[in-house]
Amino acid sequence: MKRIFVDYKKCLACKACESACAVEQHPCHSLMAALGDHKTQVNVRVLGIDHEAFPLSCRHCDPADCLNACPSGAISRDPESGAVLLDAALCKACAMCAMVCPFDAISFKVTHRSLYGRDVAYKCDLCNERIKEGKSPACVTACHSGALVYAEHDALRGRQAVKSLRTYLLGAEGIPAHVELFRELRRKEFARRRDGEQ
Amino acid sequence: MKVVTVGTGMAAAEFVQRLRLEGFGGEIVMCSDEGFAPYSPCVIPFYLAGEPLQTVYWKGADFYDRYRVTPRLSDPVVEVDTARRLVRSAAGRNASYDRLFFASGARSWYPRPEWLETTGVFGFKTLTDMVAIDRYVSENNIKKAVVFGGGFIGVDAALALWHRGLEITLVHRNTRLLSQMTDEDGGRFATAKLAAKTGIDIRLKTTVNEIVTNGGQLKAVELANGERIETALLIVSIGVSPNSEALCGNDKGVASNDQMLADPDIYTAGDVAVTRHAVTGEQGIFATYPNAMQQARIAARHLVHGDGSFGGSINTNVLKKHIDFPIVSAGRFEGEPYTWQQGDIWRRVYLQDGMINGYLIIGDTRISGFIYHLYLSRKRVDRNIGTIISEPRHDSYYRGVLGVH
Repeated sequence: MKRIFVDYKKCLACKACESACAVEQHPCHSLMAALGDHKTQVNVRVLGIDHEAFPLSCRHCDPADCLNACPSGAISRDPESGAVLLDAALCKACAMCAMVCPFDAISFKVTHRSLYGRDVAYKCDLCNERIKEGKSPACVTACHSGALVYAEHDALRGRQAVKSLRTYLLGAEGIPAHVELFRELRRKEFARRRDGEQ
Repeated sequence: MKVVTVGTGMAAAEFVQRLRLEGFGGEIVMCSDEGFAPYSPCVIPFYLAGEPLQTVYWKGADFYDRYRVTPRLSDPVVEVDTARRLVRSAAGRNASYDRLFFASGARSWYPRPEWLETTGVFGFKTLTDMVAIDRYVSENNIKKAVVFGGGFIGVDAALALWHRGLEITLVHRNTRLLSQMTDEDGGRFATAKLAAKTGIDIRLKTTVNEIVTNGGQLKAVELANGERIETALLIVSIGVSPNSEALCGNDKGVASNDQMLADPDIYTAGDVAVTRHAVTGEQGIFATYPNAMQQARIAARHLVHGDGSFGGSINTNVLKKHIDFPIVSAGRFEGEPYTWQQGDIWRRVYLQDGMINGYLIIGDTRISGFIYHLYLSRKRVDRNIGTIISEPRHDSYYRGVLGVH
């Protein structure tokens, strides 16, 4: 099962993932159509947390609390890709799923998938159509800094463990030099703003 | 082996589906006092709000065919003969079982059952109720309604009919709506916000005492304070009681163990089952869908594989219907309160021994999942709970993960 992994230290908060997701999810598949459209659905949200950034989207958990909480049959799992999918046609926006999602990955609004003129729950669908064609999810394709990685769950976990050990033993983070420099600048900028406030 | 379910509600549907998924090949009979495929009670009010009936069948309208079930519908089960392993219906039909799944749910409790004989007075619990209300409202061009009872179902009813365009008066005996899932302050906040956002006329600390009829047709209701409200539609939703008479002879619910067994060959689940609370350990009926589903899965697993154990129920609930104003709560409202409010958002967490004992999150679902997991995992949060609920950008979970404080 392939999943989207977040290497947040490489996130430059450029929001290319958000734009790509909005275009991918929009019925017209065009940036011009998605801009200024209040029904545009963006399934990934880059959080700015002081000097850090984190692209937040559904983790497609297994077992998934949202799937087990949905009383209207709207949330299901694709047996092939393992993606947790939300069918807006069945969703009643009752918030049972949002109540138990620890990641705040489910939001509500009137989207292009709303059938009854009211808000529905929406979240990342792992670009289920795209990945079945052998492509990566739109956000991963758009990410140029390596903060979003689409990879096999177990293999990547293994590599991460090796990397963590190397980091622990050698003190090397494995973050590219230019990204490290950017992080440094961002940290200083935030520190400067904080000091300015006091 | 032959399995019979009493009830075709959410627990029974989940149970039967699980049985089939786990490879159970025996005969399954499902009994119901209604004539529908399994439907979701959480969804049925939306039918009144104008959404298609098809969506209420949360596991598909062809459920009985797809899972090879013999349905026995529109014929309530009135007696379970545990000695002879038989269930008897009101029409006098018997069905024998090897294993019984008793999930008959709950029914509306009416202070004056005779009111229901009047045209224009309805309960708000079943799809039968919804279809009747829908037909009544359309055929008589109803413009006003009075909802008696401001618990979860009452508020649900008021919002569904409000969404349909009716002018609603909501009568509730307590000082605030949703008194079971809110504390005093939170409940008052939620009540005021609901009234402001919808324009529903909320009458607190009073009850509907009498109905005024004319030739069997409802004309008006009289409140305890003597006030008279003209209306041709009254919804009575002041409480429910479990349908446990057929098995236990009383309406106190069916006691169960951690395998969801009420008897060596009778499983129970859902709104009729008395279970243990996962955090406090107290016995009670925790009538929400996630509990019913987990209980049904445990029962199915135990029937097929002989193992599995239920970890307990959680009294967590959320009301968010027709307007974007969620009210989330869980646990007990006792202990040391931490409150935070900003505009439409109101949060309160109760701590006991440094752990979350209960919480109430109104106006916004952000961080509610994080708080829910902190509550379940019994983590100590006394040092940072104030920060968690008051983080201006609602990102306390991610702050913790990234180590940015």
